[in-house]
Amino acid sequence: MAGATRPQTVAERAADAEASAGRILLVAAGALFWGWLVVSWVNRWLGGPLVPVGDPLVSPAAVEAALGAVPVLAAVAADAAFVIELTPVLAQGTWLTVVITGVSLVCGFVIAVPLAVARVYGRFSAWLSLGYTELLRGTPLLAQLFVLYYGLNLASYVPGALSGVFARDVVWVAILGFTLNGAAYQAEYIRGAVESVDEGQITAGRAIGLSKVESIYHVVLPQALRYAIPSWTNEFVYLIKYSSLAGFITVPELYYRADQVATDTFRYTAIFLVLGVMYLALVLTASKVMERVDASVAIPGLGADRDR
Amino acid sequence: MSDADAFLRVTDVSKWYGDEQVLEDVSFEMDRGDVTVLIGPSGSGKSTMLRCVNRLAEAQEGSITLDGEEVLSPDTDVDELRREVGMVFQSFNLFAHLTATGNVALGPRRVLGLSEDGARDRAAAQLERVGLGDQLDSYPAELSGGQQQRVGIARALAMEPKLMLFDEPTSALDPELIGEVLEVMRGLVDEGMTMLVVTHEMSFARAVADEIVFLDDGRVVERGPPEQLFERPEKERTGRFLERIASHD
Amino acid sequence: MSAAGSLALAASGSLGALASGAVSAAAHPAASAVWLVGEGADWGFVLRNADYLAGGALLTVGLTAASILLGFLVGFPAGAVEVYGGGLPKRLVGGAGVVLRGTPIVVILLVMYFVIGVPQVNLGVASISPAVSAGILGLGLRSAAYQSQIFRATLASVDDGQLEAGRSVGLSRFEAIRYVVVPQALRRSIPGFQNEFTIVLKDTSIVFAIGLAELLTRGADLFTQRTTAVLEVILFISAIYFVLTFATNRALDYLGTRYAIPEGESV
Repeated sequence: MAGATRPQTVAERAADAEASAGRILLVAAGALFWGWLVVSWVNRWLGGPLVPVGDPLVSPAAVEAALGAVPVLAAVAADAAFVIELTPVLAQGTWLTVVITGVSLVCGFVIAVPLAVARVYGRFSAWLSLGYTELLRGTPLLAQLFVLYYGLNLASYVPGALSGVFARDVVWVAILGFTLNGAAYQAEYIRGAVESVDEGQITAGRAIGLSKVESIYHVVLPQALRYAIPSWTNEFVYLIKYSSLAGFITVPELYYRADQVATDTFRYTAIFLVLGVMYLALVLTASKVMERVDASVAIPGLGADRDR
Repeated sequence: MSDADAFLRVTDVSKWYGDEQVLEDVSFEMDRGDVTVLIGPSGSGKSTMLRCVNRLAEAQEGSITLDGEEVLSPDTDVDELRREVGMVFQSFNLFAHLTATGNVALGPRRVLGLSEDGARDRAAAQLERVGLGDQLDSYPAELSGGQQQRVGIARALAMEPKLMLFDEPTSALDPELIGEVLEVMRGLVDEGMTMLVVTHEMSFARAVADEIVFLDDGRVVERGPPEQLFERPEKERTGRFLERIASHD
Repeated sequence: MSAAGSLALAASGSLGALASGAVSAAAHPAASAVWLVGEGADWGFVLRNADYLAGGALLTVGLTAASILLGFLVGFPAGAVEVYGGGLPKRLVGGAGVVLRGTPIVVILLVMYFVIGVPQVNLGVASISPAVSAGILGLGLRSAAYQSQIFRATLASVDDGQLEAGRSVGLSRFEAIRYVVVPQALRRSIPGFQNEFTIVLKDTSIVFAIGLAELLTRGADLFTQRTTAVLEVILFISAIYFVLTFATNRALDYLGTRYAIPEGESV
């Protein structure tokens, strides 16, 4: 983007116009997607002021009729109506997917930062941190969820204070699993970023009388966490996608609910394609949001020479 | 010079990195308000000596007393010591994520416990002092090398140190930027700041130093007032070093 | 998925087994001291079925190898198209990549299995079941989408001067890429490739969703049979996965140092 001052060629201008049209389309699709989700959620929480709880926001029959009237779209009218019928279930599942991802990501981050710092600056704790990350990164997430759910039967041991927050306590088991697993991956990204902070920064911190811990907290981490944002975004995206594995331990999130409908109706094509689009929308939203975050916390000169 | 109540007294300091001895029985002392300049070829141990004073490097033998307190004692609160001794680095080491004000205010805020506003006011005053009153909100990457180093000096001054250490403060600068940093340092000399300086700027050393200490191979070869050391060095090695430096100037 | 419901019932028994394991540990210290977790008898059950699990591990390894290979065969050209291509091919490749990277692997597998409906492949000597080919296709294409990003980055990281120097000695653009840029890029790809390899290896466990009898699925079969041995079985298969990822990483480390360019850039 450095050469932006050069006059554009016609082809470039055409490409730009096309790109901005694409962007508008993308924003419109995003607004529709999130608008639908939020309205569905609010409708459910408020006990159905717009449409009865469990009903789609627009009538499937109306959609089918409308599409059926257009010759080109008539062929897909029935499928479209079916998808509309699905929307309440999908919205409900997406809520859990979003919550599980969000809570696990934040909790994992809280664990990951000390893990990364221990790995770089600790002695004994560095080995402990290494052992933890290697173990968690060396085994499949699904196997870890199985250990927590089937092996340790943790769903029966959810503390009273947490129990009942979700319709099913097993949601907490999934959150625990994603937190522990995500912490290991996040720690790796953050460790890389911590290591890339110039050593002179700590020396300078120590020289004005900050302790080592204070130097790490006030000087190293503010820089390292900024460096970590792009790779951390990857982890965010991974977690959205892998939250689908919660379905395997009976958490009624997006994938689980869609899979159940598919098993009942055998309409695999429509359901799984819609499911894929749903996740794609969540993932694209996350990466766009993180791009914004990255830009908004950017500091002149910081990380500018890093190509990531 | 060897009066009993010297402000900073370095006595027989030795240090090894593994098997390699980098400092050998280094001794010198300075009074409050003195400016002492350490000179010597690269690798002579000057920077290491400087860092032993605020214990960014640990001397293994000898004694360093600052204001009557033993610096090398295991009981010394290192953070407290560093609070009282300011340091300016060759590579500036400005906190890359903070503005000029943020860099200078961090110590007063977090170490001295000043309020957010108090720390900012102090930072602004110190930046004014080094001639950067118009760059308060610039990030390090937006400043020239000379400006960055002046922020580094302001950052050290903001802690109101009783001794300032300068570790080759102009070595990383383009020639045309050296002057502005030396000018700030001269101002500090005029204010009576106690300064221990490692530098290759011989004309600066000559103009401001009360004493020059010439180190080579980790040992003090010769020390004395600048007129004596520059005009009539006692040791042949000192003369050779000064000639070589002069021919490079 | 269909297994999940019955497994949930099975799970309730396992913690009771843990507790009784503690009791029997007190009664037979010699017998149970060997195992830190679980009960001796259940570990015995796991070991008796080690052959069955080993068969699953073999399928896991085969699935990984085939998927990585497919991922490379599709992903490398895709990466090259993203760097050197233009127009429609570049946009198609880019779009397919976004879709494959933005969708959970379980959804990709289900689409391969139920929607695309990969047929049984007959190789004469052996036939590949629809589940296996759906697994390879799903894991392989998803891996291709990630590998294309690795190769795109490393191809782009090779200095432009290299391509110019290649052209200057009379190579065509294709030849310059093929003989000058690609060999350098491939070496630089090893660290990213290492990561991708272990991800595919671990994600083979998700073919559980289409009932393919790899390691995790076989483990689940076992602990459905003997519900007291749930923890023992899962820990055992986790250990196998860990050994596999660890060995893979070390092998690729070796490959990385073996083929490193002396004085190479520390990318």
